Amino acid sequence: MTTPASAAEKATPTNGKRRRGSDRSRSEARLGWYLAGPAFVIMLLVTLYPILQALWDSLFSLRLTALDETEFIWFRNYQVVLGDPAFWQSLWVTVLITVITVAVELVLGFILAMVMHRAATQLRGIVRTAILVPYGIVTVVSAFAWFYAFDINSGGYINNWFSWLPGITEDLNWFAAQGTSMFVIIASEIWKTTPFISLLLLSGLAQVPGELEEAARVDGATGAQVLRRVILPNMKAAIMVAVLFRALEAFRIFDNVYIMTNGANNTEVLSLLAYNTSIGRLEIGLGSAISVLLFLCVLIIAFIAIKGFKVDLAGTRGDT
Amino acid sequence: MGGMSTKQRIGWVVITVVVLLWSLFPVVSILMTSFKTQAGLFSGKFLPPEWTWENYATILAPGGSAQDLFLPSLRNSIGISLISTVVAVVLATFCAYAIARLDFRGKKLILTTALAVSVFPVVSIVTPLFNLWRSIGLYDTWPGLIIPYLSLTLPISIWTLAAFFRQIPWELEQAAQVDGATPFQAFRKAVVPLAAPGVFTTAIIAFFIAWNDFVYGISLTSTSAARPVPAALSFFTGASQFEEPTGAISAAAIVVTVPIVIVVLIFQRRIVSGLTQGAVKG
Amino acid sequence: MRRPQAAVAVMALGLTLGLVACSGESGPPVLTWYINPDDGGQEEIAARCTEEAGGDYQIQTSLLPRDASSQREQLARRLAASDTSIDIMSLDPPFIPEMAAAGFLAPVPDDLQDTDDVVQGAVDSATWDDELVTVPFWANTQLLWYRESVAEEAGLDMDQPVTWEQIMDAAAETDTLLGVQGAKAESLTVWINALIASAGGEIITNPEAPADEVQLGLDSDAGREAAQIMSRIGQEGLAGPGFPTADENASMNLFAGDNGSFMVNWPFVYPAISDSDPDLIDDIGWTIYPQVEEGTEAATPVGGINLGVSEFSEHVDLAYQAVECIVQPENQSEYFVTNGNPPSSISAYDDEEVAEEFPMAETIRDSLDQGVPRPQTPYYNEVSIGLQETWHPPAAIDPDTTPASSAEFITAVLRDERLL
Repeated sequence: MTTPASAAEKATPTNGKRRRGSDRSRSEARLGWYLAGPAFVIMLLVTLYPILQALWDSLFSLRLTALDETEFIWFRNYQVVLGDPAFWQSLWVTVLITVITVAVELVLGFILAMVMHRAATQLRGIVRTAILVPYGIVTVVSAFAWFYAFDINSGGYINNWFSWLPGITEDLNWFAAQGTSMFVIIASEIWKTTPFISLLLLSGLAQVPGELEEAARVDGATGAQVLRRVILPNMKAAIMVAVLFRALEAFRIFDNVYIMTNGANNTEVLSLLAYNTSIGRLEIGLGSAISVLLFLCVLIIAFIAIKGFKVDLAGTRGDT
Repeated sequence: MGGMSTKQRIGWVVITVVVLLWSLFPVVSILMTSFKTQAGLFSGKFLPPEWTWENYATILAPGGSAQDLFLPSLRNSIGISLISTVVAVVLATFCAYAIARLDFRGKKLILTTALAVSVFPVVSIVTPLFNLWRSIGLYDTWPGLIIPYLSLTLPISIWTLAAFFRQIPWELEQAAQVDGATPFQAFRKAVVPLAAPGVFTTAIIAFFIAWNDFVYGISLTSTSAARPVPAALSFFTGASQFEEPTGAISAAAIVVTVPIVIVVLIFQRRIVSGLTQGAVKG
Repeated sequence: MRRPQAAVAVMALGLTLGLVACSGESGPPVLTWYINPDDGGQEEIAARCTEEAGGDYQIQTSLLPRDASSQREQLARRLAASDTSIDIMSLDPPFIPEMAAAGFLAPVPDDLQDTDDVVQGAVDSATWDDELVTVPFWANTQLLWYRESVAEEAGLDMDQPVTWEQIMDAAAETDTLLGVQGAKAESLTVWINALIASAGGEIITNPEAPADEVQLGLDSDAGREAAQIMSRIGQEGLAGPGFPTADENASMNLFAGDNGSFMVNWPFVYPAISDSDPDLIDDIGWTIYPQVEEGTEAATPVGGINLGVSEFSEHVDLAYQAVECIVQPENQSEYFVTNGNPPSSISAYDDEEVAEEFPMAETIRDSLDQGVPRPQTPYYNEVSIGLQETWHPPAAIDPDTTPASSAEFITAVLRDERLL
């Protein structure tokens, strides 16, 4: 089997003639673009125009209710944003939420995936159906469910149930302090999105060759050894994809924070800061600058993941 | 799994119960809230002290104060999510096949674009999109939401399917190609049956993502012509603007959760066969 | 087979009618009125005025989101794009200067400029740059609600105006809780404004100034007195554990609960409590908003809805005709009775049904007359959120430093030097 992908990468756009089996590979390339083109074009159209517009807007002092005072100010918006503790505070909160949720979800998700993978047939269906429910639920709905359960002003019952735990009294107002608010936000995020990770991990788990596992067991390996030597290495791609996607999604967290605290008590995340600035305050210039910075952050995370951890979905046939 | 001891069996039942509690608890919680009376809402109890259908009447019954708001938004959510799912999955299947299977320049570019699009902060696209949609007449219409929803559903569909297609034993396809089939014929005859379970899984993911959207829904609509349910929830109100519509929101939450449960029940089996006995083990 | 045919015919007819309505040539012009959510009252008034117009125009309502800042955001974005589909708007008063300054509001015609029959609080809130820019529709104000049993136990004479200090002491003494809004929301600004204005101060001393010249009056004795009251309630837990997240609804529930004592809140609480707990109503009294300094009349919080007509409407004249119809005193008193929103028209309070349904109507009217609107600046959103950012949670307010530091912060925000 050949590795045409790496060969093609080395070729420059104009020297197609030098490629081997030219007719066949040319028709393959054409088919490739026929198949992939429409999706590619749509994705570009829906995002490229708006982000370029946002990039352009971020260079202006632009307020929607005072359009005649619009002024080109180069990078002053970025200067204001980057020089403001509020930006760094919300960046920190966002990073914290991302790291905690992804770490906890990876462990929980793997356990769930193992449960789904190993459970007896009768139970398997029940477990899978159950965990798909949080995944499918609308984030806004889940945010309301968690909020109503905890909020003492909405008749939350959590305090009554858990008052035997140290630190929880009947009078604990979860949404009055940063730590407790973050706890509920993170818990709801974990509840909602762990199934996503576990589904991706499960699909990875299904790819682990059963014979290898069996062979290892026959050789006398313990469960932990099988996990470390056979299962995890074979699942590396699935794990990295799951982590990458979840991390980037968690970084954009918006709905639950918007509904539960709306940023009170230093729980403001980057998306909310951008939303409040450009949509709440109608300061399009400043808001676009935050949006662009937010976008840069996710690009950096993606870049680190792809380059540093070699998450590579583009690998083609014969790369294993 | 035939030779399971009683101990193991009990262990599995316990695990199942724990998973069930964890997964369903918040849903049951808001279900209980939806049956509480105005007074019961502030009882601090899990179960409603008094059961009532009043909250459901508010959003569903003719003459209910939130009915005009809720029913059209439910129709919008279902229609818009379904269409954007179908479009995304069809396009993504072709795209992912090409990426996983064919050799052509630019597939890295496509995947990088998909990743960039999928992680795009929705909040930052919304304002420019709003202006564009207004000027070309897509504001407050179904296509006006379906198109941006594609930016949410397409990338993840492409990545998931590309990952999935990579695991398929392509020897079958190569065998077909050796037999003289064109790449497309090979794709249709040898790959589609193997890929179908993965496509279904992807469809579920895409549908849930579209169904879940909040920011686009709230920013690109202004009437019940296109407003989806998550956005409509913030329009609910009590008897006056200061009263929290807790009961009505909970009831609406349950109503939009029912289709999810149905979809999950229908597709669960597909996922089981798709992910566990699919191409690889076969 | 007749039924399907009939259905097709009806559908075809409907389609044709729809097309005709869209063409705008024949049939009365359709005015779109963007309304805030209520109990259906504005829709009823729209139908009534459509009928009264006898074919001159037709009013169609379109719903805005629940909270005031989202309403503003929806309208402002469309107005900034010169959207012609908005004719009449139900506007929350604090955001009116912003719309007026941006040129989004069509000038109010002379025959609607007469405000003799309108309560003072509503007139003030409809004015920008010494000109009436919107038409007052309904007017809201906060009263002091109290549990008669608690007031008696504390020995307070509720026939006289009481002070914040008195009710705080009373709550502490009787071991009950105050109903005040400490949530990080617009209600916090309402409270801060009322306290500062009652102490004789102003949040902004020159509300009509451009953003970089706005002068804040927070760092003053009045500001410190306001901070003192809020921080005491927070630190001594006088409003219970729910205080830092309590909005109007939560305060009402606290007030109606076992530990309720005194509460500042809008009149919606009366029908709401009558509904949920009819037995409690006998124990509930009301009076004018508490004073900060004994003997100095309180500056009561005012709110409500004014009607604005969009500058970009294709039917400005007709829209103002419709507004004139909507704000008739009879409509206002009926709206009060059915939806609980108090009239801005003085004569609307004379309605018999009003007195019957709302025994506190007279107190409301008096309160509206001594109301002080929130700062009338085009940058209200920044000022309000800036206050919420720095005066929350109330327990963390330091009367010596918070007023000064919040003034500094808001000034920087207005100069685009800080984010919110």
